[in-house]
Amino acid sequence: MPGFLLRRLGQALVTILGVVTLIFFVQRLTGDPTYLLVPETATQADIAALRHQLGFDRPLVVQYLDFLGELVRFDLGQSVVQRVPVTTIIASRLPYTLMLAAGALLVACGIGVPIGILLAIFRNSPAAKAAAGVVLAAQSMPTFWSGILMILVFSVLLGWLPPSSTGDLSHLVMPSFALGLLSMATFARITRSALLDELSKDYVRTARSRGVRSGRLLIRHLARNASIPVITVAALEISNLLAGAVIVETVFAWPGLGQVTVQAILARDFMIVQGVVLLGAFVTVLLNLVSDLLYSLVDPRIVLEGAR
Amino acid sequence: MSRLSKAAAAILVTAALGLTHGAAQAAKDRLVVDLVNEPSSLDPQVQWNPDSYYVYRNIFDNLVTRDDKGAIIPQVATAWKQLSDTEIEFDLRGDITFHDGSKLTADDVVFSVKRITDPKFASPQLGQFDKITDAVAVSPTRVKLVTAGPYPALLAQLVKLSIVPKAVVEAAGKDAFNLKPVGSGPYKFESWQRGVNVQLTRNDAYWGTKAPFPAVTFRAVPDAATRLANLQAGSSDLVVTLDADQAGQLKGSPKAQALIGLTERVAYVRLNTTKPPFDNPKLRLAAAYALDKQAMIDGLLGGYDKPVPELLTPASFGWVDGIKAPEHDLAKAKALIAEAGAAAKAEIDLATAPVFDQRIVQAIQQMLTEAGFNVKIAMSDMATYLKRAQAGPEATSLLSFGRWSCACQDADGVLFPLLHKSSGWSAYRNPKIDSLLEEARATLDTSKRLATYKQVHEIVATDVPVVPLYQAVVIYGAAKNLTFQPTPNESMFINRMSWKD
Repeated sequence: MPGFLLRRLGQALVTILGVVTLIFFVQRLTGDPTYLLVPETATQADIAALRHQLGFDRPLVVQYLDFLGELVRFDLGQSVVQRVPVTTIIASRLPYTLMLAAGALLVACGIGVPIGILLAIFRNSPAAKAAAGVVLAAQSMPTFWSGILMILVFSVLLGWLPPSSTGDLSHLVMPSFALGLLSMATFARITRSALLDELSKDYVRTARSRGVRSGRLLIRHLARNASIPVITVAALEISNLLAGAVIVETVFAWPGLGQVTVQAILARDFMIVQGVVLLGAFVTVLLNLVSDLLYSLVDPRIVLEGAR
Repeated sequence: MSRLSKAAAAILVTAALGLTHGAAQAAKDRLVVDLVNEPSSLDPQVQWNPDSYYVYRNIFDNLVTRDDKGAIIPQVATAWKQLSDTEIEFDLRGDITFHDGSKLTADDVVFSVKRITDPKFASPQLGQFDKITDAVAVSPTRVKLVTAGPYPALLAQLVKLSIVPKAVVEAAGKDAFNLKPVGSGPYKFESWQRGVNVQLTRNDAYWGTKAPFPAVTFRAVPDAATRLANLQAGSSDLVVTLDADQAGQLKGSPKAQALIGLTERVAYVRLNTTKPPFDNPKLRLAAAYALDKQAMIDGLLGGYDKPVPELLTPASFGWVDGIKAPEHDLAKAKALIAEAGAAAKAEIDLATAPVFDQRIVQAIQQMLTEAGFNVKIAMSDMATYLKRAQAGPEATSLLSFGRWSCACQDADGVLFPLLHKSSGWSAYRNPKIDSLLEEARATLDTSKRLATYKQVHEIVATDVPVVPLYQAVVIYGAAKNLTFQPTPNESMFINRMSWKD
């Protein structure tokens, strides 16, 4: 186990460094943000002065080494536009994104998994087919559209929910649904196929022939085995949710990382983009690691490489 | 299955009932304003963008300001007189206090001017103030500014110079002041929850007109449809940057209204006159004939914007009535292009960026193509667009669509950068234009300046380095109860608004 962990952590570090290096140079290739910071009437001399002050006139390699040096000290630099440390910005936005991702995951699993179970158990009933259709339709709607539709119905028309921004939990309902709908169908589908897969196995037939009741069978045996693909998908879906959050956060003016990243990209606020990408790479690598570890917990038959 | 769905339904209903109260809002004691983005900074001297302006202009006083009609009126300065061509003296109000209770004196004004004009400070606004070479406190209520040569646009620029408290800035340092700005304006900074909102509270000790709302919240709502929904749902009272279609949706709304104001922003098509095909004046004229300004406005912009014959709007000093520009005439355009023959067939790139109205860009392409030009739209991100647009005639594209605002309402801020050869923005080389622009910049005599700008407008109309299109409007959405007069410089002074139930 420790051997496995160490190797994976080493791989993770290389991956993250690669991602960060790539984003650093790709961003710089697109030019610098000085032109966006000054008014249209600024002269070339003004622009040059500001560029110098921001350090974008230095050789790329120097800027890169500087960046790595800061990174080692856990310093992500200062936002070019807002002139505030990137860590401050990320720290203030991350909780919102986590809240939103949690809400969306709750919606996706809370609706998707039960529907998947129903689809597997009553696989030939018309009701199950109808449910599958509804789930598919929900997933097919583009978020910016379903989001606006929700705002129109639940805020403007019915006045039940606040249309945007944050505050109490009610503000989280619509963004969570808008984002969760995207993953709901995935969860339903994976759950269904995993369960069907298990249902066809010998141990199920054996258990049934011994007279084990369906409910008990489902909870004690099927759920456990079928949850492995679901966990894998959950880990992947969290990354997807973070990506989908960009649109949802914009539509609902939800102040998460997605929104800040879009604005930073448009304003070429390199420092913020770097910081967020670094965090994203870190989270993705971590989630993959955690899902691998969870497999072996859920299913003792899975032995992690290097664990022996 | 049925038990499960019942339970789910019960949860949803309970949740919905429990949450309904959250949506209701009382709007009188707090004005909620939806901006597009949050301000990038609240230090009035380290940034330049509208979302910051909207907020911090309510926190700070400026030396002078503009009334709703656009006239320059006193604010911190009560009066000013020109001592010589390069020296101007301002009398200051003696009764202004900053939000921390300290008095605003000539020292603070001098400090503010020197701070923003210090090249080491590298303010993005430096270019607007770099003609000021010195600031001297003559007495506690009198300040003298010195400029490099006569500078007729000085007052127009000073409208944007906020006065910061010297003692506070020096004690707090740049970064800390940005996080907790202290001004002398009608509103005090209360809090800034990053990404969520900026809250201000009324400065009850304000020397001027006090605002009707004890508190104001500025929120960042990037999506225009959401801003509109917020307004319709009553969760905000004033929203910025709607388009004509969205303004139309507010027609007949019992709760909200669209407020539309003509700005000082002029939309134009710029031609690179140094390269074929537009080094040929006849083809430039053909482009001017080909573009149907009124059709763009009526067909795409809801009819609110106003066509202009010159590269300026009536909201700016330097506007001259009665300039004769080429009117839309497709036949004339086609004839000129036919006359030019093969020279007109080359591929022309039309530079644009996503922030511009792409319907207009496509209309321009279509109109020019219909006349016989071969126009391709070249889309890039804003920074690339700006960089290329300012790279000089060698690198800049043959055509570009743009919307220009100097935020100063003075011809010098529009015509000089777009036409003078020393400016990166200019792809036009005409010694006559250069000398006229220099002349207008170097005299304080307003009638002489106007006469000079008239000549510039006339040359632009006949030589066509630029096709001026229209004076752009700004569209706000507001609660029915709110009275707010949009201004040409797109200012949003809360203490000029009123509310009636």
